[in-house]
Amino acid sequence: MGLLKEEDRKYLTSEFSKHIKNPVKIIHFTSESNECMYCKETMEILKEVEELHDLITLYIYNFDTDKDMVEKYGIEMFPATVIEGEKDYGIKFYGIPAGYEFSSLIEDIMDVGEGKPDLKEETINTLKDINKPVHLKVFVTTSCPYCPTAVRIAHKFAMANENIKGDMIEANEFPELSQRYNVYAVPRVVINEDRYFEGALPENQFLNEILEALKEG
Amino acid sequence: MELIFGPSTQKSSKREYDAIVIGAGPAGLTAAIYLARAKLSTLILEKLVPGGLAATTDKIENYPGFPEGIGGEELTSRMEKQAVNFGVDIALEEVLDVDFLSNPKVIKTSDSEYTGRGIIIATGTSPRSLNVPGEQKFRGKGISYCATCDAPFFQDKEVVVIGCGNSGIQEGIYLKKFAKKITFVEFLPHMTAEKVLQERVRALDNVEFLLNHQVTAFEGEEKLTGVRVKNRETGEEFLIPADGAFVYVGLKPNTEFLKGKVEMDEYGFIKTDEKLKTSIPGVYAAGDVRTTMLRQVATAVGDGALAAKLLEEELGG
Repeated sequence: MGLLKEEDRKYLTSEFSKHIKNPVKIIHFTSESNECMYCKETMEILKEVEELHDLITLYIYNFDTDKDMVEKYGIEMFPATVIEGEKDYGIKFYGIPAGYEFSSLIEDIMDVGEGKPDLKEETINTLKDINKPVHLKVFVTTSCPYCPTAVRIAHKFAMANENIKGDMIEANEFPELSQRYNVYAVPRVVINEDRYFEGALPENQFLNEILEALKEG
Repeated sequence: MELIFGPSTQKSSKREYDAIVIGAGPAGLTAAIYLARAKLSTLILEKLVPGGLAATTDKIENYPGFPEGIGGEELTSRMEKQAVNFGVDIALEEVLDVDFLSNPKVIKTSDSEYTGRGIIIATGTSPRSLNVPGEQKFRGKGISYCATCDAPFFQDKEVVVIGCGNSGIQEGIYLKKFAKKITFVEFLPHMTAEKVLQERVRALDNVEFLLNHQVTAFEGEEKLTGVRVKNRETGEEFLIPADGAFVYVGLKPNTEFLKGKVEMDEYGFIKTDEKLKTSIPGVYAAGDVRTTMLRQVATAVGDGALAAKLLEEELGG
């Protein structure tokens, strides 16, 4: 039995064929640990997504044993999912991409398959000038309708500039991390540890937050 | 496990439309469905996410046709798919400025500029703040306005729900799946939620009701630890210890950007006549954003249909 309804599967297949022109790799890190809340479910989702288009390939690694891959992709927790195109852009999902975050996963795959992020020209131009590392952590819950907006912008920025990395973090599955960053409302976007903001900001305001954080740093 | 995704709307390069609907909640989506079916080229502009406030509602039980109730997101995403199927363009852009006096009417957004021969304003409302000390400080540090988003952070915690209207009670019932204890605070001496909701919330364990009480402050250090309330009858003030507070004290209209452009009432809701016309010809208002007696999905879709039909007639459709 599939997770996706037949009509949704058909719809996504046709959308993917419109957008995906280049190979998309889903690099997934799982674990057999009991601590993993949704490893099994996450894998099920990814397997179904892989079947939606010929250019999508799912690679599955074990967080505990495939150390070299864990290191190569800089994976810190499990389950983790990287969406890779012609290179690793720094697009990561920590935790299950279900609920509203399924839409982030789908749209990321379309962007990567198309080979360019869906951003405004002026945003792309401003992003080009960022030459310091920017690590964006976007804390979400799967029942938050505003969260994919923040996740998507972080991932699009990661695609546009190699200095930027964007992690979606599903707060329920990583309670200690959420506590360390005092997350009580989502989306919360943490920029390089110290600066954060809450809510789904539009593209240009999100970008301004990053530029301000870089000034401070 | 639910997998949610909306229709992927390809960015259209089209800039001139017959009709532009501002806001993709139930009123705006319904209006767009009717306009598109009348073969008018239609654009919806949405600032945040399609579905509006209704999409953040855990369960909608009073919208006919769904005997078991339906999730707010599911209902609105169906409306969205329906609109897209009839050829409506949806652009996720914030409207910054409008010129309703030119012909056609001009709408400037965060990304672009569009023209429409007719406009329907369906921007809806946002949760209102209480404006008491500590509210800004603890926003996101215990105070939340979206139960479906943030409820998981209050697993086995004590929370306060402020406001006992439909939203407060409905979201409180949802929160109780997570929270250990809920104290409901209501300014009025009685709850204003539907009777069926009142019965359901009173049947829950570990819920308490403070009617005729006013919230005077939010307290804490780094994060919220309590809500200070005052008994409006006796004047007695006391602190309710709480890890979280959810605020449902009414709605404010999303009309900031329309100030001086159309006539509004003293609270900023848009005034319309019985044909949903605003003070400007060719500009209609539908749903929660207008001065009306009831703000529900059912009334919003009715407004949307009516505004679309009348605009179609005005445009000579």
